[in-house]
Amino acid sequence: MKTRLPVNFLIGAVLVALVLGAAALSLVWTPHDFAQMNIKAKFGPASSTYWLGTDQLGRDVVSQLMAAARNSMTVALAAVLIGGSIGTALGLLASAIGGWVEDLVMRIADIGFAFPALLFAIMLAAVFGPSLTNAVLAISFINIPVFARVARASANQVWTREYVAAAQAAGLNRAVISWDHILPNIGAAIIVQATIEFAVAILAEAALSYLGLGAQPPAPSWGRMLSEAQTLMYLAPQLAIYPGLCIVAAVLGFGLLGDGLRDITDPRLSRER
Amino acid sequence: MIELQDFSVSFKSGTALRQASLAIRPGDRTGIVGESGSGKTMLAMSLMGMAPAAADLSGKLVLDGRDMTGADDRGWEALRARKVAMIFQEPMTALNPLRRVGDTVMDPLRLHLGLSKAEARARALALFEEVGIPSPVERLRQFPHELSGGQRQRVVIALALACDPELLIADEPTTALDANVALRIIDLLVRLAEERQMALLFISHDLAAVARATRDIVVMYGGDIVERGPTAEVLTTPRHPYTQGLLGARPNPVAEPRGADGKRPRLPTIPGSVPTLQDLPSGCRFSGRCPVELPVCAGTRPGSTLISATRLANCHALKQEVSA
Ligand SMILES: Nc1ncnc2c1ncn2[C@@H]1O[C@H](COP(=O)(O)OP(=O)(O)OP(=O)(O)O)[C@@H](O)[C@H]1O
Ligand code: SF4
Ligand SMILES: [Mg+2]
Repeated sequence: MKTRLPVNFLIGAVLVALVLGAAALSLVWTPHDFAQMNIKAKFGPASSTYWLGTDQLGRDVVSQLMAAARNSMTVALAAVLIGGSIGTALGLLASAIGGWVEDLVMRIADIGFAFPALLFAIMLAAVFGPSLTNAVLAISFINIPVFARVARASANQVWTREYVAAAQAAGLNRAVISWDHILPNIGAAIIVQATIEFAVAILAEAALSYLGLGAQPPAPSWGRMLSEAQTLMYLAPQLAIYPGLCIVAAVLGFGLLGDGLRDITDPRLSRER
Repeated sequence: MIELQDFSVSFKSGTALRQASLAIRPGDRTGIVGESGSGKTMLAMSLMGMAPAAADLSGKLVLDGRDMTGADDRGWEALRARKVAMIFQEPMTALNPLRRVGDTVMDPLRLHLGLSKAEARARALALFEEVGIPSPVERLRQFPHELSGGQRQRVVIALALACDPELLIADEPTTALDANVALRIIDLLVRLAEERQMALLFISHDLAAVARATRDIVVMYGGDIVERGPTAEVLTTPRHPYTQGLLGARPNPVAEPRGADGKRPRLPTIPGSVPTLQDLPSGCRFSGRCPVELPVCAGTRPGSTLISATRLANCHALKQEVSA
């Protein structure tokens, strides 16, 4: 393949690298302690000490953004892994068994699909109290039907391949075939979907934290930084703009990367769009 | 050993296999020929218990004295590979592109024979040697795209042979290969069948290939078995009008020279085309295209006529001729 990498893939990869880099770096180093308050230095302007200034409590903005990136990535990763594994397993199962089992799983997926994530998170928070874990669970949950659909559709295609018939002719049962033959061959589709869902999860986490249903203080979160800055919009608009930009960069980055991966792995699909 | 009795496979759109009866005994080498859509693959898949889920099956399928007619997947899984194995037409698509070919061949060994990984590997190695794959140790670790078409087909054959099946079904095993490779694969299949006392069911469009590989032949059209007998006799003196059309003006396909592309000519075309399943006539499937058709043909299915001790054909005109 000599074709050039698609532009969306390149831009996405750069943005994702920046966000992931910042999150990884925050594990070992931030310019300041993100929680360290310094009332004397509140609403500080950008300077050589505080690169993007300080917030209403005098905390370093850059350090908070970096730590929030880590929080955001962790939540998205956990949610996509949990929701993705369960959803993919259900999709594989539906495809392997077929018949009424497949119908049932897909009808349930349809219902889950139609159910707004935020509503579900609010319900969870109402019942179990707001927490990051509940936010992760809520986002995981909305990922299940998404992955179940993608996995089933791709798996159904792979089941028609001749090598699957050959495996059946060799007496392998459907469970073994699903694991050894179907799963590896739907891997590309799952990874593409996971990348796109990563973007969705970042946005969902930001929204939940904005509503106070996600990360609880003092844990940093772009969504909560945004909501705290909202009341200070006239005083210090930059405090809302920075986390907002971070959310946009992360969501756009993973979204473009996912689209780009799709273009690379399945050119036919992207041309149809 | 394996026997179909009045076995039919029907879809909503029509009957893909109509009351087929066929018995295969140990050591038989039987060919199936017929135009595209005549039901050859359907017959083969039925023998593996792999007819499409959408199909309605009727009739009887007996394997080693066991009636397999209503058997479920689990019942079949235990018998596939050990009793009946199958190799497929397209060696590129018959191997998982993301799986090392050695692992693919070891799968049934570990599953059915309960071999350890090391034992399965040794056995796979022996199989690769048996089917003539050069430097088999390295090949075990390779992926399908690293092998040539002929080698891939040998891997597919090794996979099918893994658990010493009593019947090997080869559904157009050489169609995708170029002529020289095809010849060697056919000879390999014949050699393996003889050495292992394994029955071979060889499906092909290529009459020369069937002539080379088999002792008996079954001719199919429109889901019906229309003629059967010893391969050499049927191909030199076809009696059913369809078989005659299939052979066209070529009384001896084995001597037919290769075309400019190095391949033997495919089946000559019979005027008209194979009707779709819905449009098949209810009587003799060949009526409408048959040059010697009688009034009775379209509505009444011809029974079997014994031509000689070993030959049968299903045709009204032939029946009159023979009884006259
Ligand atoms: N799943 C299915 N549903 C409906 N009809 C089917 C299905 N699979 C096969 N058929 C029909 O059954 C008939 C026999 O098909 P089959 O594949 O056995 O033909 P064949 O002799 O193997 O042909 P070829 O030489 O092209 O391989 C065809 O008319 C085909 O359209
Ligand atoms: S039964 Fe009739 S239509 Fe069919 S092959 Fe014989 S003569 Fe032709
Ligand atoms: Mg076929």
